[in-house]
Amino acid sequence: MTVQRVNKILLIALLAVCAIWLIIPFTMAVLWSLVDPSEPWTADKVLPPVMSLFRWTDMWENSSLKSALIASYTLAPSAAILSLLLALPTSFALGRISFLGRELAKMLCLLPLVVPPFITAIFFTSLLFQIGLSSWRPGAILFAHSVLFMPFAIRILTVSFEQVRQDHIDAARDLGASHWARFKVAYLPALKPGIFATLLIVFIQSIEEFAIAFIVGSPDVVTIPTLLYSALGQDYVRPNAAVLSLILVVPNVLLMLILERLLRSANPTLSSGKG
Amino acid sequence: MKLRRGLLIIGLLTPGLGLILALIGTVVYIAVSQSFGYYSLNGTNEFSTEFWSKMAGRKAFKRSIQYSIYIGVFSAIFSVALAYPLAIWLRKPFAGSNFIGAVLKAPLLVHGLVAAFLFINVISYHGILNQFMQWLGIWSEPRRLQNDPNAYGVLILQTWKNMPFALLLLTGAVQSISDDVLDAARDLGAGTWDRFRRIIAPLTVSGMQAAMVIIFIGAVADFSFQVIAGPTNKQSLSQLMVSFKGRGDWHSAAVVGVSLMMIALVGSAILAVVARMVMRGRIK
Repeated sequence: MTVQRVNKILLIALLAVCAIWLIIPFTMAVLWSLVDPSEPWTADKVLPPVMSLFRWTDMWENSSLKSALIASYTLAPSAAILSLLLALPTSFALGRISFLGRELAKMLCLLPLVVPPFITAIFFTSLLFQIGLSSWRPGAILFAHSVLFMPFAIRILTVSFEQVRQDHIDAARDLGASHWARFKVAYLPALKPGIFATLLIVFIQSIEEFAIAFIVGSPDVVTIPTLLYSALGQDYVRPNAAVLSLILVVPNVLLMLILERLLRSANPTLSSGKG
Repeated sequence: MKLRRGLLIIGLLTPGLGLILALIGTVVYIAVSQSFGYYSLNGTNEFSTEFWSKMAGRKAFKRSIQYSIYIGVFSAIFSVALAYPLAIWLRKPFAGSNFIGAVLKAPLLVHGLVAAFLFINVISYHGILNQFMQWLGIWSEPRRLQNDPNAYGVLILQTWKNMPFALLLLTGAVQSISDDVLDAARDLGAGTWDRFRRIIAPLTVSGMQAAMVIIFIGAVADFSFQVIAGPTNKQSLSQLMVSFKGRGDWHSAAVVGVSLMMIALVGSAILAVVARMVMRGRIK
């Protein structure tokens, strides 16, 4: 078949593109992170002359990497939980109650995604100055992250609430279940994947967020993206930037893959009514 | 009863939607007010158009506007133009298509700053691209590719990062076209280009518009790609705004910020309309 042959040629061409697209950039990053300072990697050598984990241990011991990791990895789960809690009531209303202006409300929930992040960051800082909370940096970042990433939470949870089956709720009520018991048997099973997906997506977004952390947080709060930014800017040392890039990218890719599993596995059981 | 229901709905919406509106509303309000001289952090606090007129006379401001629009428009066009053929190719699953889809979408998972690092690492003076070109004998000596004056580096980065997003939206749109429609067109003698122009294009126009607009808004407001990989003699609007804020000149930063919001709004409306006209205008 000619179609198959065309696909095969395209496939090979694409794999070549892929190599340029992903494999070369990441291989270079890994190699650069392994360059030992005892001998520089000059242009005439294909591989670094001496490879070691020196940069990794050095960054771990002598830079603000540790505090950045602590900051990022406490901020992100807190933002995820806060965002989830704040989004639940709105998602319930949007998913289970029909009212005038519901579509408009759904649209308005997406607002934070349209306003450019640096505008939000700068004038949120201005607001903090006006109300005298400018020294309250970690709290301000946490608040901003929870609100700004709520569109994702509301979007996912609204769909989850829509998928709760009315006959399950009715059956539970007919069998005399209390409010809490009804929630547990009818709502919770349908909501669970959505809740996990929400926590995960806000977590990832918060770990990766740069504008707010950079503008609101500087100079006190250092997160991994702001640390990487300064490693790429005023104190650019290529191997160090390579180490930070890998630290930022690897856990997030793994989490994203879990997220995709979660969002995919959420649907079949629910639509078949086995939830 | 009706009142109670209304209050219940408002009560439910307050912690979520309410907070979103409060935060974004306040941010936009402060930006607009500060651009007209209000909310000054030091001294005077009165209405004035001075900051706007002063800014309008600045050469750097005009250059920033032109530059940001250039980046926004071309990033959107390149991403969508590249995503269309791929989406059509991946419409029907075949051996390996899932893998290809996953590889193409991988940049979605890579942080913008990491992408910028990977890119400058490849194109740097002693980077692998320079070495490769010298090895091939095409270039006799390494060339300086980083921070190129035409911002091709920024456009490449934007396209790398945003094409997968356009692909995601367009794959959905293209896959929802039924085989019957395309087969009917083929039976009536429509070639590949005719099928694209008369069926696929009009049926996927809304997905394409969404991709264009979202990519445009993101790219027009770009900060990190510009700072790391962009030309050093030009500033994007976000970069200009941050530099004003860094000097403590909040009012000028606000003028730039409000201009950026207006450009994003008006620009995406124009882009959406033009995209629709291009995709639909040819159909008689």
